[in-house]
Amino acid sequence: MTGWHLDDDILRRYVERADSLAEGTSVEQHLLSCEQCRGRVNAAVDVVDLAAVWDRTRDTVEVPRPSVFERLLRVAGLPAHEARLVAVASAFRGVWLVGVAAILAFAALAAAVGHARGMWLFLAVAPIVPCLVVASSYDPWMDPALEPELVTPYPALRLILLRTIAVLALALPAVLFLGLFVPGEAPFAWLLPAVGFVAVVLAASTWVSPLRSAIAVSSVWLGVVWLLAARSGSPDAVLQARAQAGFLALAAGSFGIFLVRRRWLRQLRPGR
Amino acid sequence: MDSRPGDEMLLLAVAERDMGAFRTLYERHAGWLAIRLARRCNDRDLVADAIQDTFVAVWQRPQGFRGDGDIAAWLWGIAIRRLVSRLRTRSSVAAVFEKAEAVPAAEDQVLLSVEYGDIGQALARLSPEMRAVIQAVVLDGLSAREAAQLLHVPVSSVKTRLYRAKAHLRAVLAEGSS
Repeated sequence: MTGWHLDDDILRRYVERADSLAEGTSVEQHLLSCEQCRGRVNAAVDVVDLAAVWDRTRDTVEVPRPSVFERLLRVAGLPAHEARLVAVASAFRGVWLVGVAAILAFAALAAAVGHARGMWLFLAVAPIVPCLVVASSYDPWMDPALEPELVTPYPALRLILLRTIAVLALALPAVLFLGLFVPGEAPFAWLLPAVGFVAVVLAASTWVSPLRSAIAVSSVWLGVVWLLAARSGSPDAVLQARAQAGFLALAAGSFGIFLVRRRWLRQLRPGR
Repeated sequence: MDSRPGDEMLLLAVAERDMGAFRTLYERHAGWLAIRLARRCNDRDLVADAIQDTFVAVWQRPQGFRGDGDIAAWLWGIAIRRLVSRLRTRSSVAAVFEKAEAVPAAEDQVLLSVEYGDIGQALARLSPEMRAVIQAVVLDGLSAREAAQLLHVPVSSVKTRLYRAKAHLRAVLAEGSS
């Protein structure tokens, strides 16, 4: 400490930027080595909301390293905050993924051992898995963090579509892979129905909660499969070109409805 | 002076992931850093971002301070470079060094001449562009390249202006002493 300190006028001129370059430089040189005068300058800060910057700084250093999935999304070119929003969906938590994989593996195994009913089981389960996972990825009940996200100006449509694409990017290859173990022509029969159901869920979620629509769609599908199986028709019924074209139309139509009604997504509320 | 822990102690504690020490360090330094950065960039959001980047960098690498000199000077070195790198990613924002220079009152002139002598007046007679270059390169210790990014001018302009500013100062000071 030299005992020399900035006088109040110089300090005021410095803070208000009303000084000359020489004087400002002298002040800055002094500040580097004088804690006392730094404290006086700190007390006069009005250029930046330091409390807010502190909160952001603390948040930045406290968050754990981004998950593998989030880093993948960033590599894919998504900005950091969007990658975070997409990756926080419940559907990407380990438990969920393991559960979904287990159900699928069970169905595929049943089909692979050649059991006729196993074949049906796979056909019944595989198409509804993607839409259930998609629904859970943006249902406010599954993801309590989503509600504040939806009321922020962030476009809900973009968020939901991003999550849907991310979910499908994860779920589809998994189901495809397991489908390889299913004998017959069935392995890929579920693809178009799956896409159709996802679109239906997206469209229906402009009226009711995503999870409810997914459960409704799944129930209808399971009922249809059950009926077909009970009438001992061939599982190939769903494979026919006409049925597949129907699913394609369903997907296109539902997606159109979803886009038209997208502004209602903001009113998403759990359990409605 | 008092029993509060010095900045070096705080930095050691930060290396041990002590959030309280980190907070204290922030409170001691963020303010004057912000003011000093704001004198070099008119965009307050960018200044806020640069402050945040600076302290995040401190948290991540407190051992970057090697114990030589003042921690304040070390922090400033980080902060000005963070500002430059923020400016680089947002090219639309113009960094402005000087606002319209206030004309010093008579008594301030006297004070200036007492305190800084001829050099202060010599600096005051430089054009704002030259002063900006002098400030960035000579006083803030930036490289010509960093200064060019901060000021949004080509590197070659920084070098030319620096050369001319030095020549000008030399001429003015020689004239004053003769």
